Amino acid sequence: MSRRVPLARRYLFGERRRAILATAGVAVALLLVLVLDGIFAGAMQQVTAYIRTSPADVIVSQRGVRTMHMTTSALPADAGLTAETADGVGWVAPIGFVSGVIGADSGGRQLSYVIGYTPGQPGGPHHLISGQPPAGGEAVIDQIAADQLGLHIGDQVRVLGAWLRVSGLAEGGTSIVNTTTFVTADELDQIHGPTTSYLLVGARPGNSSTTLRDTLAAALPDTTVQTRGEFARQEAAVVADMSADVMRIMAIIGFAIALAVVCLTLFTATLARLRDYGIIKALGAGSGRLAGIVIAQAAWTVALAVAASVALALVVGRVVEVAAPTITIAIEPSSILRVAAGAAAIGAVSALAPLRRVVAVDPASAFRRLS
Amino acid sequence: MNANATTTSTTSALEARGLSKIFGHGDLAVTAVRDVDLSVAPGEVVLVDGPSGSGKTTLLLMLGVLLEPTSGSVVVDGDDIWALPERRRPSLRARHFGFVFQDFNLLGALTAAENVTLAADLAGVTGHAARQRAATALERVGLGHRIDFRPDQLSGGEKQRVAVARALVNDPAVILADEPTANLDSANGRQVARLLHTLATDDRRAVIIVTHDNRLHDIADRVLWLEDGALQQLDALVTDPVCHMSITPADTPHIELDGTVWWFCSTGCRDEFTADPTRFTKPK
Repeated sequence: MSRRVPLARRYLFGERRRAILATAGVAVALLLVLVLDGIFAGAMQQVTAYIRTSPADVIVSQRGVRTMHMTTSALPADAGLTAETADGVGWVAPIGFVSGVIGADSGGRQLSYVIGYTPGQPGGPHHLISGQPPAGGEAVIDQIAADQLGLHIGDQVRVLGAWLRVSGLAEGGTSIVNTTTFVTADELDQIHGPTTSYLLVGARPGNSSTTLRDTLAAALPDTTVQTRGEFARQEAAVVADMSADVMRIMAIIGFAIALAVVCLTLFTATLARLRDYGIIKALGAGSGRLAGIVIAQAAWTVALAVAASVALALVVGRVVEVAAPTITIAIEPSSILRVAAGAAAIGAVSALAPLRRVVAVDPASAFRRLS
Repeated sequence: MNANATTTSTTSALEARGLSKIFGHGDLAVTAVRDVDLSVAPGEVVLVDGPSGSGKTTLLLMLGVLLEPTSGSVVVDGDDIWALPERRRPSLRARHFGFVFQDFNLLGALTAAENVTLAADLAGVTGHAARQRAATALERVGLGHRIDFRPDQLSGGEKQRVAVARALVNDPAVILADEPTANLDSANGRQVARLLHTLATDDRRAVIIVTHDNRLHDIADRVLWLEDGALQQLDALVTDPVCHMSITPADTPHIELDGTVWWFCSTGCRDEFTADPTRFTKPK
């Protein structure tokens, strides 16, 4: 075995309090970035849940409309019939869509997508956990929204100003920004006026979604036709655009705090050991070896901090899910990689100033008297 | 040139020629070491004594490849170390020199064994071989039972013995010790002195010790006196009978009395002596 004396580890862990404080400081700063990223990713998952879990291969919307979030869409009245006759179409499910407010008698209110569909056809809730699909005068609401509004099956819920009976509870439709409510297409027509907002289209077996998209785009020239994946990406992009600046600023703040903590810790630790570095140099260490000690300390600090921050983020995610069910914190591998890369960059930057000091340290300083 | 300070050995472990160090420039220039010649043979213990600020440590730093001289050369193992490229100097220090410091200079984060192993690491010996060497060196200085202790768990004498083990772990030809007994009590001081003497006599290493400690004179083959940056053999110095200062007889005031030449550090001492020589010449 050819192992050198692990000076960096000895220096780092020789002073446990300093090491713990440094690692914790960096971990908390990285945790901020990870959790924000997780909230963002969770919101993306929630906001795109209806589309992602839809059985549709292709979605047809008003020309120029590519999302549901923050938009309205109205299709020509004959769009559904035209779509049904196109090659490769297995089924067509028109849905109505309105953004509005639902409320309870107690006064609680929530922003909601209200989707009108034909029960028995695609377009309804992905997973009905209790009760029945809506009939006339009824609505299916999300369980989290029901809990927050204090509603149960059989209670009255006000949807876009109309009082409807809660016929069932669904899951996966509530996000940090709104919830999803399902009514029949006829009910939505009565409340809001007759409108077909989107067509959910399923491909006949053996037909790909992209081929179907192109076929429908040709058959319905005054509409926008996207595959489900494209639609979900567009939906996510709208949310991302709305919050990107905030996320970026928060990430920069988080990384800046982490950088400050690592810089300060490493620099003070290096200054405190400058005489040691002089001794090591006097004994025959080259600048490369000294630099390696500093870099290894920075690497250890950020590596431990990344590991701690990921573990903490997972814990925070679980706690938040219990405490605030509308918030989903999704710690994705890409987010961990981004934070790890950022932390590595922080480690590299934080090592620069100490590196300059140790490389410049005079080996003759080892001969200076301590007192 | 200080011819007195040079041995005539043809197999020197270390040989310095015309070594000088001047700090600063122009009117602010200070000559710390002046034109020193020094040759130390394997197995020889050379003590460098002198007043504080006389340039002893500066000389040691230049001999140990730690401070570049203004002029002169230091030849070790056939190479003028100051003519070598700078990048080769660290490894030269690690392989050819062992250092013993006044303040021990052990790394507090490492155990005794790791402190010694580190020195082997720096000379390119790693892993088991380095640890084995360190264990052997620590055994040799009588600390085989303390290898896993950290410096703060060791006494001053033990720390200095660890430092000696660290100095010899790479089997260097030259040991440079800077006041190695200054921070030790008399018992530990004697023990370290004996150890340094053994390194010279048994291992045939050249040991150069900078010190004020008269106890070390007993182990020295030669005692050199460094004053104002210039080196001379201690037996070439005389003592001022009035103030008892060691002085170089060459350029100082002196008188001849009853066939004996008396040397003084200054005219003040000479005049005091002349006024009543019996005060200073009577046996006490």
